[in-house]
This record gives sequence, C-alpha cells and structure tokens, in this order.
Amino acid sequence: MSSGIVLNIQRFSLHDGDGIRTTVFLKGCGLRCVWCHNPEAMLLQPQMSVDGKMLGVEMTVDQVIAAVEKDRRYYENSGGGLTLSGGEPLFQFTFARDLLTEAKRRGLHICLDTAGDVPQSHFASILPLVDVFLYDIKAHTPEQHQRLTGVENKRILANLEFLYASGAAITLRCPLIPGINDTPDHLAWIASLARRYPNLRGIDIMPFHNMAAGKWRAIGKTWTLGDLPNASEADRARWLETLRACGYINIRL
Amino acid sequence: MHTQPFAFERAFTAMFRRHQEDSPAIREAHCLAMQFPAVFLPIQPGDHFAGRMRYHHIGFSPQHHAGGFGYFCDEQAIRAEMETLTLSESDRAEIESMLMFWRTENTRAKVRAAFPPHLSAILPSDQWTSEPGIVFPLYRMAGAALNYKKLLLRGIPGLREDIQHGTGSPFYAALHMTLDTFCKSALALADQARTEADRQTDQAERTRFERIAASLTAITERAPQTFHEAIQMVYLFTMHATLQCNFGRMDTYLGDFLAADLTSGRLTRDEALDLLVSFWRMMPSFAENLERVKFDLRVIIGGRGRENIENADQFALLALDASDRVRAIVPQLSLRCYTGMNPALYQRALDLLGAGATFPILYNDDVNIPAVMHAFDVDAVTAARYIPFGCGEMVLEGVSFGTPNAIINLPKALEITLHNGVDPVSRQPMGLALGTLADFATYDDLFAAFSRQIAHFTDAAGEFQALAYRIAGEQAAFLYFSLLYENCIERGLGMFSGGVSHLGGTYETYGNITTADSLTAIRACVYDRRSIAPDTLIAALDSNFQGFDDERAQLLAAPKFGNDDDSADTTARRVHETICTLTRNQRDRTALDSFLVVAINNSAHILLGALTAASADGRKAGEPLTNGHTAANGQERSGITALLNSMVKLDPAIHAGATHNLKFARSMFTTHRPQLEALLKTYFECGGTQSMITVVNRDDLIRAIEHPEEYASLIVRVGGFSARFIDLPPETQREIVQRTLWE
Ligand code: SF4
Repeated sequence: MSSGIVLNIQRFSLHDGDGIRTTVFLKGCGLRCVWCHNPEAMLLQPQMSVDGKMLGVEMTVDQVIAAVEKDRRYYENSGGGLTLSGGEPLFQFTFARDLLTEAKRRGLHICLDTAGDVPQSHFASILPLVDVFLYDIKAHTPEQHQRLTGVENKRILANLEFLYASGAAITLRCPLIPGINDTPDHLAWIASLARRYPNLRGIDIMPFHNMAAGKWRAIGKTWTLGDLPNASEADRARWLETLRACGYINIRL
Repeated sequence: MHTQPFAFERAFTAMFRRHQEDSPAIREAHCLAMQFPAVFLPIQPGDHFAGRMRYHHIGFSPQHHAGGFGYFCDEQAIRAEMETLTLSESDRAEIESMLMFWRTENTRAKVRAAFPPHLSAILPSDQWTSEPGIVFPLYRMAGAALNYKKLLLRGIPGLREDIQHGTGSPFYAALHMTLDTFCKSALALADQARTEADRQTDQAERTRFERIAASLTAITERAPQTFHEAIQMVYLFTMHATLQCNFGRMDTYLGDFLAADLTSGRLTRDEALDLLVSFWRMMPSFAENLERVKFDLRVIIGGRGRENIENADQFALLALDASDRVRAIVPQLSLRCYTGMNPALYQRALDLLGAGATFPILYNDDVNIPAVMHAFDVDAVTAARYIPFGCGEMVLEGVSFGTPNAIINLPKALEITLHNGVDPVSRQPMGLALGTLADFATYDDLFAAFSRQIAHFTDAAGEFQALAYRIAGEQAAFLYFSLLYENCIERGLGMFSGGVSHLGGTYETYGNITTADSLTAIRACVYDRRSIAPDTLIAALDSNFQGFDDERAQLLAAPKFGNDDDSADTTARRVHETICTLTRNQRDRTALDSFLVVAINNSAHILLGALTAASADGRKAGEPLTNGHTAANGQERSGITALLNSMVKLDPAIHAGATHNLKFARSMFTTHRPQLEALLKTYFECGGTQSMITVVNRDDLIRAIEHPEEYASLIVRVGGFSARFIDLPPETQREIVQRTLWE
C-alpha cells in the first residue's frame, strides 16, 4: 500500500463540495499562483515552518482512510464525504489514485479539487473513482495564465474538455482577485464556459480573502498580495452584474 | 402588621416556637400560614397573573438565597437593616435573642450539627468558593419537579378528597391547612385584583384585573377550566411550594387548556400568546429579592410519553413564539427531541437559535430515556417523565427528587494523590496518604490510588446527601412538595420523611476533563515515554511550570480529549466510569435510591480552578477547570465532529446529565443550515444527549468587552444558564471568548 505526504486533514469542511466533508490536503503543486491560499502545499516534501512546526507528514492510505472514516455518519446524513485537495492532489498521483480507489471501495462520496495541470492519462485513470470534480479556472489567455500561475492553461483546458466529454460531474471554481483577474473579459469568458458546457453542476465564484497571509509568513515568504484587502461587497456586486449581463445567471458566490 | 421593626420575622419566630413541640408537619403548616399571603406583593399594572413576592429575612423555603434552606434566617441582612434603624433597647434585645435562637434552629445548622465526627473530618469546610478542598456539602433542597398535571386535574377540591381518608393524622391535617393557606392567598389576591379593577379607568386594564380576580376565585372552588386559570394556578402554587421554579413539561399540562380555549373561541391564538408572553416577562421578577429566580427558571416542551401530542405540540409552538418575543434569560426553554417528532417544532426551534436566541436547549429523548432507565433503575414509562433542572441534571417529574448536595473538585483529588494526600496550595493534609507519584510503579498503580482517593470522598458525599435528607425530613414535611409528589399522600409521610418514591441525589463534579487530560499526559510523558521523571513533574507543577517550559510543552502536546483521539478519550472514559460508578454505588451504602454524577457548569469550574494548583495537562495554577463534558479551552483542534465524537464516548447511562455547550457562528444557521441539521441529527444518533447552542461570533464578544454599552442585550450561555454577557465577571467573559467557536 502506498504512502504520501499529507499536509492536513480537515474535518467538518463545508466549502469543498456538498454536505459535511473531510478534506485531505496533499502536498505538492506544479503551479505558483500569486494568490495561493495554501502556499505551504506547493512543495512536495515536508518542510519546517519559521516557528518550528513541521508542515506535512507521511501517511499511508490506511491511515488517511481511518481518519476519514471517523465521520462517516456525518457524511451519510448530509450527503457529504471525502474531498481530496492540495496543492494539486494529483501531483502525488500513485498515492492519490490508491487513496481514491480505497475510498471508492468503501462507498465514500468523493470530490477532487484540482487545478487540472496534470497528464490526461491521470484523469482517465481516476475518472471512475471521482463523484464530483471541483475544477479551478483562473485565467483565460495562456499568457495571463502563465503570468499569474506560472504555467500555461492549454493542458488545463484540454483536460476540462476531456472530463466534460467523458460525462464527469464538474463544478468550476473561479477565484476572483480584485484588480488581478476580475477583468470584464475574464468574466465574459467564464460565462462563455457556462454556455459551452451546459451540463456543468455549477460555477462557484471564490472571492479573494487574505486569510492566507499568515501561511505565507509561516513559510518565510513575502506574499506579493499581502496588502490586498478582502473582496468587498461592491466587488461582488460588480462581478454578478457583469456575469448576468453576459447571460450566465446560475452562479454561486 | 408591620408596625414594629421586623414584625413579620418576630411573628414567624413566635409561631415556630409555639409549635416547636408539635409534629414537624403541623409546625410547618402553621409557619406557612404565617408566611402566606404575607410575602405577596401588589399586582403590577400590565401583569396578567398574580403572585409576585418578596421573601422576608426569616421564613421557610426548600431553597433560599441566603444560603439556608428549610427554616432559614438571613442574619446578615437583618443586622444590616438594624444598622439603619433606631431601635429601642427592648426591641434590640428581642431581635438579638431571635437571631441567637435561629443560629441553632435553622435547618442548615441542624444538618451541620448532625455530622458524625468522621464526616466532619472528611468534609471540614463549607466555604467552597474561598477555601481549598476536595468535596464540599451544599445545603438546599433544590430541583423539585412537581406533578402539575395532577394539580390542574384534581384542583383544590380534588386534592382535599385525596387526603380525606387520613383525617386525624397530623400529616393530613397539615396538608389540609396547607390547602387552606393556598386558598387564603388566592382569595386575598383576588380581593386586591377586584379593588384594582374598580380603580381602573381604562377598560382593558379593568378587564385584565377582573380576569385575574375571577381566576383566583375559581381555582379555590373547583379545578381550573381555562388557559388563564390553569396558568394562574400553576404560578401561585409554585410560589407557595418552591423558588427553584421548574415548571416541568408545561405542554403536557397546559396543552389541553390551550386547545379547549382556542376551539371554544374563548381565546384567539394571539390572545393566548399575549398571556404566555406576559407570564414569561414576569418570570425574572417573580421574587423580588431572590437573585436565583432571575436566571433559574425552566420550562420543558416536547418529548415522548405525552398524551394528546397534538395539543401539546400546539402549546410547544406557542412557547417558542413567546420565547422569540421575549428573548430573555428566563424561562430556560428546553425542547425534548425524538425521532418522529413534529418537524415544524424542530424547525421553529432551529430558526430561533439561528436568530441568536440561546433557547431552546435541545435534549435527545432517543438517548436520554434509555439512559435514565439505567441510571435511575426505572422502567421506560417512568423514564419518559425525565426533566432537566439546573444545568441539565435529570429528575423524574412527580417521582424523584435529586438535589445536588455535594460538589467535588476532581483535579484537586488528583493533585493530592500526586502529593501523598497533602494539598500543595495550603500545605495541609487533605486526603488519604497513599504515596507520591514516584511511589506508583505503573500508570495503573497511579490510577488505582486516584480511584481510592475519590472513593474516600465520594462515600462521604453520599453519606452527606442521605444525612441532609434525613435532617430535612425531621425538620419539616415539605408539605407543598408532598401534595404533588407521588406516594407521599398514599404513604401518609412527608417528602423526605419516607414519602417520596425515589429519593435521589446528585453530585456536581468539576474538572472531569482536566483530570482526564492530566492523566493522559502523565501516562504519555512519565510512564510510556519516560521523558519526564516523576519528581520533575511534581516540581514543575509545584512551581507552576516556572523554569519548566519544556516539560509544559510536552504535557500540552500530549493528546487531549475532544479530538476523537482514542488514547485521550479512553482515559476520559475511564475517569468518567470510575467517578460515576463510585457515585452510583452509594445507593447500596445509603438510604438513597440513586446518587448520580452531574457534569455541569455554572461558574464553579472557575471558582474551583482558582484554588487548584497547576495540573499535568499543562493548565496553569488558578486557571479554570474544564466545564461539563466539553474539551479544555482551545484544546479541541480537530473540528466539531471530532469533539462530538469524543463527547459521545462518555456513557450517559451512568450519570444524571452533562452540559454540552456548542457555540456557532450565525452562518451555520443561514448559509449552512442543511449541514447544521445533519450535524445535530448525527450527533443525536450517535448518542448525544443534549446541546446548548449559542450563536455569536468571536468579534462580537471581543467588541462587547471593550464596549459593553453597545452590547447590553447580548445574551450568552454559561453552562445551563444564560446571562447578559456584560454582567459577567471579566474572567468569565475571557473564558467564553476563548471557548472555540465553530464556523
Ligand atoms: S494551484 Fe492551488 S495550491 Fe497550487 S499554487 Fe495555485 S492556488 Fe496554490
């Protein structure tokens, strides 16, 4: 049975899929988003925080599953389950696959929170295991995506196309950072995705919050967005207005 | 009557002395006839019911605020008032002799005087708020749960019939006198209401007083027939019987009256709601000079074992509406929930909580009824009559009495176990000398010594509980209780003189989780890993961790209860089972039918913590102990499901109740309502007994400390009680802020 590096196991998660969930955060990510809310998940290996706390621990599939199983009855009553997140959960692909296989065998409802930038074969292999994909959409042009996340978005969009064509249940998650990627053309593009993929489960707008400032400090890095305030009510109102004007109204914010 | 100073007190004393040699029941009946209706106050404008009162400094009450009970004398208050008066020599002498008389004749003193020497040695102090100790006696007969249904169905004439057969015996004669006294009060207040009615120019006010007069008169002649008469009767009877106002399962006894009035058109729902709202609003000022009444009044709704469920639910919904309108500290509305209950009732309750009300407290019948069956050794029908009082102590309505008469500081018991029976705070011997930590070769040896230590004290607590009842029973028949508790009339015996069917008792335990976490840490660091030597641990605790930062960090890092961690939770379960079993065993050693642990909180965990040295869980000297069955502040780090999973590992079938405080941010009730419902449902399915929910956010509380003036109406829960946050002492405020808030 394989093992992997787990950053954190968060019980009673309400924001990563339906119902009451346990979110397992795996270490490692190929992107470098400027707004990253889990910067301590970027590196694969466990690392020491500036105040001497070890971030990340090696766990076996069995150990993770045992922790997840503890809240099974809460999942059953709420329609919840396991969410695998990161980092990029598919960065440690073998471990993620084994974990998902075991969770599936036990009948747990599974969400995968992914940035999408992994080989298509990975998605093909886990497709039958995942109930809902939470799929991040960050920027629409390759250049902008490169600038904001460190990678182009070609593979990401191709994987989205692949998953959608395979009939996967997908919720798009769109972080909007005031002044960074909340441009009218980006919003229009999000709305166009909704038209292009009419069977999406939904599109969640994730307004920027600066709660991650402490995490950046903890790993001894300066956060370029450190001083940016939380997205305001006015920002949200403006986004909604633009999205509605583009013809997409079924958006959760 | 009040022409001479302390006229009432002197007359009451004279009456007591005149009947000192009579049977206690007769003496009590005469004293009650003196006390009522003298204590009643004028009916206030706007009130829909009569019965406000003000106690005198001397009198009879099962529980009185000045620390006494039964026959009480508030000497301090009398002396303070004497300072303000110019008294003649003869008055002064008479009052002094009266005070001297009561020093030995008050019921509390009688109980203290009856301690056998070995009990005095184990329980030397009554000053639990200021002196270190393990177990302390509490003097009171609290937590009465009267059978109001019987009161309303039988009415005064019916109760007279019930006691007819015993004419001739002093007990029955006294009960007759007690009913006479009740009628005398009702008629006196009716006269007053009529006079007031005549004086009113406003028609609505006049009608209000007239209705009070009519109801008061009617209930002296026949069983009540209307919603108003029924409430008036329950209220007035309660004010005669006890000031620990637990109105019990109100929907079971008022539901039919409400339904009848609505059906006949005597009342509209809005009018019925107005009546109930008025009753709710009067509650904090039922008794003018009794602080306790302002926060300790209970109404229970819902639950299994109700007849006419539809009518009862209709009343329960009205009660929720009334609490929504009033939003006050009392009544402490409690909803008993069960699988298959009316969903409208449950949803309405959650709406109320989500809107920031601290009520209702939710109780889980599916777990509590089987638990009560086992804990009290009763059948399912009797167990379904459970009601919570205080912070959640269970008692059986009309069947059992279960006053808490002793408290134990569990971390202190562990503390002296580590110190060969000596209290490290006062340096005095305090318990059994069984060795010090270094003498216990294994963890199990340590645990065995700890068990022996608490057994020693718990046996004393059980003995005291039985003694308190025995002396109370020798001093008085507690006549109003005896009328509405099953078997007293049938047996012809006063409540605590052999009358009540189930003589229970409860034992307030504090710091249960502090103790468990300390033992877990000792096990991990001293025995398993051997990373801290026994003597080093003792030195660290004795110095309040000064110079022992590394040791404290290790102790803090040990597993803690509340995280669904098996090693911490297993210890908690072992501590729980040990103390609960030692307590429950008292039913075989004493005259008690049950003696059960309650893990509750008011502010005792703070006061006892102040007198407790540093503990091995990493808690510093003087800091609060844990409260109820919740985790130590800030130690529940794994989410609320983990906390709930830990809590349900502690068997509720061996105790009489534990507080489970849960504080939620409002978003749980708005954005995440389905998840919240699933959370509560699962918690109850997994064995959760109750939840006391407060909805606030941390910023609210921090701001409230800084700007109390802006938060006058912020009500928070402290254990089973709600209080205005800004009225709480600073340390309690800080403690509440520290308690984890689930978002
Ligand atoms: S994909 Fe997620 S974890 Fe990776 S850098 Fe971007 S925000 Fe951070």
